[in-house]
Amino acid sequence: MNPKLLSSIAGGIALGLCATPAFAQEADAPTAEAAPPQLPTGRLTDEQFDQMIPKHPGFLGALAKENLRKPRPAPPFDLTGTWFVDLREGFMKFLFGPPYPKFFEAGQEALEEAPKYMARGENYRDAIGQCFPPGMPMIMTRVWPHAFIQLPTAIYMISGFNNSVRTIFLDGREFSNPDLVVPGYNGESIGHWEGDTLVVHSKYFEPDNHYIDMGIPISDEFELVERIKLLENGTVMEVEYIMTDPQNWEGEWRNTKQYLLQDHTDINESNCILANNAHLPGTDLGQATAAERGESELGE
Amino acid sequence: MLRLHKKRTTRKALYAAAAAAAAASVPVLAHHSFAMFDQTKVMTLKGSVHEFQWTNPHAFIELDVPGQSGRATRWSIELNSPNNLTRQGWTRGALKAGDKVTVRIAPLRNGRAGGLFLDVQLPNGKTLDSGMPKNGTPVNVPRT
Repeated sequence: MNPKLLSSIAGGIALGLCATPAFAQEADAPTAEAAPPQLPTGRLTDEQFDQMIPKHPGFLGALAKENLRKPRPAPPFDLTGTWFVDLREGFMKFLFGPPYPKFFEAGQEALEEAPKYMARGENYRDAIGQCFPPGMPMIMTRVWPHAFIQLPTAIYMISGFNNSVRTIFLDGREFSNPDLVVPGYNGESIGHWEGDTLVVHSKYFEPDNHYIDMGIPISDEFELVERIKLLENGTVMEVEYIMTDPQNWEGEWRNTKQYLLQDHTDINESNCILANNAHLPGTDLGQATAAERGESELGE
Repeated sequence: MLRLHKKRTTRKALYAAAAAAAAASVPVLAHHSFAMFDQTKVMTLKGSVHEFQWTNPHAFIELDVPGQSGRATRWSIELNSPNNLTRQGWTRGALKAGDKVTVRIAPLRNGRAGGLFLDVQLPNGKTLDSGMPKNGTPVNVPRT
């Protein structure tokens, strides 16, 4: 066999052994005389397999039986249920302002530019239409339900809109090492109980294409505190949002929302697929599709 | 085949409609902005279904609409989520490729071939709705 080819095959097998996901990466196109690719065979050592599994450095996961069984004070309430943002006062309630804090340049620009774009019939910062996650806090006011599953160690939140997942850890852990954490659109959230209130502190947010209201940007210094109460015999969840971002506004940006318990719905699979959005004329991608098709004979 | 219904427009009415459209379009950022749809207009399209996609977060129809020259234009019509459509009587198989239907939409403001779904009349005469008003009142999320 051609030594170069042999070396290439051996390299491919070595790559495959190093990490299974490497198969997902693009491989060189086989030449006409190349042998069929050989998949790696044989058992992995325990160490090789163990290296594939993400593990916390020295503390238990929230679903570890040992963690769940640890003695803890009974929580004042259980948020388990499916919740829907209360928009009965009007759709504008999905916004987190006004009132707004004093924005610095980028936020002020967004406040002024968004209405101009809308007046022209154009999107302003169509991040969601391009499948960027809404992230916190905007995911909480999508016109979709949210499932909350409360355990002694964590609250798991799954949103109907694109199945956004968020975990609020209640097991007393510290925030992740800032040099290791992977920022996310929902951030990292750690909660504790203060009397009849659940206080959740979140940070480590991904700021790329992450906006609040009509395109107000956040920075990687954005932090969120939620003060959550359960009202009306457990049928209303009230959340006070306290948002800070010293790069984008002065002081605290506060807003309070209520969510209503919904017992006749569930969360279904929902994915943002760019190819589908190209058929939605409300998105920039859909606009591009319409533009490619040219003017309709039926247009005005 | 197309019909476009325009409301009587005075300068005052235009300003009011523009203001209403701008204000009402804001909440639909809940998914993405609907600012590009002229919700003060109702456009009627008669055509053949090319594709009906029953998918979250939005369903859509691709509709081939013949023009005066005989050449068909493909229109993209944006619907709400299947969750909401189900409450309006929709099913996954409500539309099939090749179905001849009449669809009413709020058209794109730029005149291109696209719009926001209002309702559809099926080949059997049955109408399936969006839950949205058809009188040019901008509303972004169906009343369910």
